[in-house]
Amino acid sequence: MTGLIVGALVAVAAVVIVSLPFLLRSDESDELQLTTSRGEARMALVEERDRALSALKELEFDHRTGKIDDVDYRELVGPLRRAAAAALQALDAVDADRS
Amino acid sequence: MAEVGRAALVVSFALALYACVAGTMAALGRERRLADSARNALVACFGSTLVAAAVLATALVRHDFTFEYVASHTSRDLPTIYSLTAFWGGEEGSLLLWLLVLTGYGALAVMLNRKLLSDLIVWVVPVIGGIATFFAFMLFAVASPFNTQTRAIDGAGLVPSLQNPYMVAHPPMLYLGYVGLTIPFAFAAGAMLSGQTDERWIVATRRWTLVAWMFLGFGQILGAHWAYVEVGWGGYYAWDPVENAALMPWLAATAFLHSVMIQERKGMLKVWNMVLVAFAFNLSLFGTFLTRSGVIESIHSFAKSSIGGWFLGMVVVSTLFSVALIIWRLPLLRARTKLESPLSREAAFLYNNLLFVALTLTIFWGEIFPILTQLFEGVSRTMGRPYFDFFLRVFGLPLVLLMGIGPLIAWRRTSVHALLNTLVWPIAAALAAGIALVIAGAGSSTPGLIAYTFSAFVLATIVLEFVRGTRATGSVFQLVSRNRRRYGGYIVHAAIVLFVIGVAGSSAYQTNEYRQLRPGDSTTLDGYHLTYNGLQRIASVSESGSQTQYRALLSFSGRAHGTLATSLIDSSSLGPSHQVGIHTNWLRAEDLYVILSQRLDGNAIRFEILVKPLVNLIWIAGYVFVFGSLVALWPDAQEQRRLVARLAFARG
Amino acid sequence: MARPIRSPARLVIALSVAAVLAVFLIYTALHGTTPSLQPSNLEGHAGTVALTGKVIGKVAGNADQTQGLRFRLHNINGASPVVPIVYHGSVPDLFKTGRDVNVTGELVNGKFMATAMTTKCPSKYTATAST
Repeated sequence: MTGLIVGALVAVAAVVIVSLPFLLRSDESDELQLTTSRGEARMALVEERDRALSALKELEFDHRTGKIDDVDYRELVGPLRRAAAAALQALDAVDADRS
Repeated sequence: MAEVGRAALVVSFALALYACVAGTMAALGRERRLADSARNALVACFGSTLVAAAVLATALVRHDFTFEYVASHTSRDLPTIYSLTAFWGGEEGSLLLWLLVLTGYGALAVMLNRKLLSDLIVWVVPVIGGIATFFAFMLFAVASPFNTQTRAIDGAGLVPSLQNPYMVAHPPMLYLGYVGLTIPFAFAAGAMLSGQTDERWIVATRRWTLVAWMFLGFGQILGAHWAYVEVGWGGYYAWDPVENAALMPWLAATAFLHSVMIQERKGMLKVWNMVLVAFAFNLSLFGTFLTRSGVIESIHSFAKSSIGGWFLGMVVVSTLFSVALIIWRLPLLRARTKLESPLSREAAFLYNNLLFVALTLTIFWGEIFPILTQLFEGVSRTMGRPYFDFFLRVFGLPLVLLMGIGPLIAWRRTSVHALLNTLVWPIAAALAAGIALVIAGAGSSTPGLIAYTFSAFVLATIVLEFVRGTRATGSVFQLVSRNRRRYGGYIVHAAIVLFVIGVAGSSAYQTNEYRQLRPGDSTTLDGYHLTYNGLQRIASVSESGSQTQYRALLSFSGRAHGTLATSLIDSSSLGPSHQVGIHTNWLRAEDLYVILSQRLDGNAIRFEILVKPLVNLIWIAGYVFVFGSLVALWPDAQEQRRLVARLAFARG
Repeated sequence: MARPIRSPARLVIALSVAAVLAVFLIYTALHGTTPSLQPSNLEGHAGTVALTGKVIGKVAGNADQTQGLRFRLHNINGASPVVPIVYHGSVPDLFKTGRDVNVTGELVNGKFMATAMTTKCPSKYTATAST
């Protein structure tokens, strides 16, 4: 008998937990706030910037620890800095666009 | 109480199904409340599964023999800890463990990421729900742990060799590993379903993958140690299908852990990463199918069971689903950049991946070969140990070498001259080590010598990295805590090297001989002088029958001094079994390993004596491996802030 | 300045896959694989094979002596032709009548001469009758 009661309680708890979002009142709209394609584009730019910046950071670290010699460093740092600058510029453009 | 368990599993099934169906509808129709509801269902599913697990655990501890499962796997005289761990001793219990871990991981992953990655999560929920539905279905309809019977007086008990601390930890660790691979898979599927195939899903699941991989790796080492100590044939891995079933997903996951680094930095290999994660996940399912269906001859004979067929079906469905998803999203997975040079870190990672996948496929081929030959030839043929050992060397040794070279190559490209510059010291170290080893006699085994030399090379590169890094940052602690991924990774590499040295030493350079001794006789083997002192005969009677233990006492001197005992146990109910005698010489990390092979006429005993150099490095490597993994996955507050900022910005 | 080479990655992958396949094919063709048989399909197979079955009847002899350990095997699932085994070597753990074993050896004059044997590790064993 206890078994049946406990089992029933579990089932009821499950139903309640599942129905909670429908029972609770909320001011949010029911539509899922998924990222828009504009947001996607922004996201891609931010990731581009972060990628460029961390590549630079890694290059600096590798240079400091002697893994990359001065010659290679000078050759590699230029393009990376330009890439980072370009990414930051693109982001600024989007920012300006936004405001 | 069994009804509670059964009811809880039915509820779990319903919740998992709801999470899958409602979650899909919510994602398609962009309905927030339905999506939240589906997500709640997944969490509740963990709750009800926990209830079922608690019921089984309680029944086991209380020796409730009205549960068929409890009666089959425990007995009254079984110590409580083993009664509890009998939970995963049988099929139904291990399925329940699987579902518990799956819903636990799933609920946690989904709740932690629900705000940050809501776009992904709306699709991750139905994927996890779908997988959970399968397991819950199996549990309530096909293999229930809650079948009852009229109360038995006592249970069947647990085989003595399984009553062992290793067997307490080994299965749950493996499960935390296997099942953990579901999370990155679910997120990958979610990424493809939602169309957000950038690095978000990788960054979110990186730690999950690491945790699963860590448990799976350590769990296997525990299993190997158990086999070495308990099963007592002198080895620790037999390329048995059940062992391979855990190794293959681990290898695929290792490849995946490396290749995601390329995607994070260069935006390349997106398709490859999707394929790899699906491969690793499906391998974990397939492995379970192989071991549970009885389709393959294995020394671990689980009863040929009905769940094998169901698992095969699930593997097929899951594989088709993964393939279809990847093909559908191929346009989105195009790389942004290309590989610039065959001598770059990206290329090194690529070679690493190819070798790992090649090794995985080799083992896979060896696993299914018997099935294929049975189908096509009518006779099943098995690949022997030499096949696996051969390919382990062919692919494994280059991998060791790459472990050393890879970290020293720069991203994008490195000039040959710069690379050789950095490699000068490690190569010198390796050559010196090689020469020293040949002088010390290691030339007797070429693969062994190569393994040792490559290991010396890699260790030198790792030390070099730490030295250089410490010089640049000032302290080792600072260095590691600011570059956790990288230096945690190096520690893991060091663990692998220790492992390789241990395996090479204990296989390529081991001594294994039979000696026939009478009480008082002595013999010498490889630096050890052993004397057989006498035999104890211990008879005992228990509920299950009678047994006689023949315990041989030996003393030894030479490279180490001491005594050891090794036994042959003759049980009327079980047959013969062995308890091997092991002496660990910590100074050399080597073991003196003695098996009481046979009792002969006239008081003589045939002993099998092994000297296994460096074998203990393998077990040490396991702990270093865990430590390195923990360093690599330790939370980094800065990284988290960056991710949050990125997403906040994207949202506007 | 190096310009991005047109996907050396693809070439590397293709060549590697081809190389691996070649190694596989050569290896499996050259190195013999061992047939895994049961007593029901052992008949006629020459050479070294692996035989899996259930130990039935009385076990006699001594694996250490010339006469060897003698026992009989039939299919694990159900009756079938019974194969007499003569085994020389170490007796593995848990060997007894009723156990499933795997032996490796050759069929010689109707008797299977085995030199290696492993027992299946039982995941559970049946209890003495419980009421």
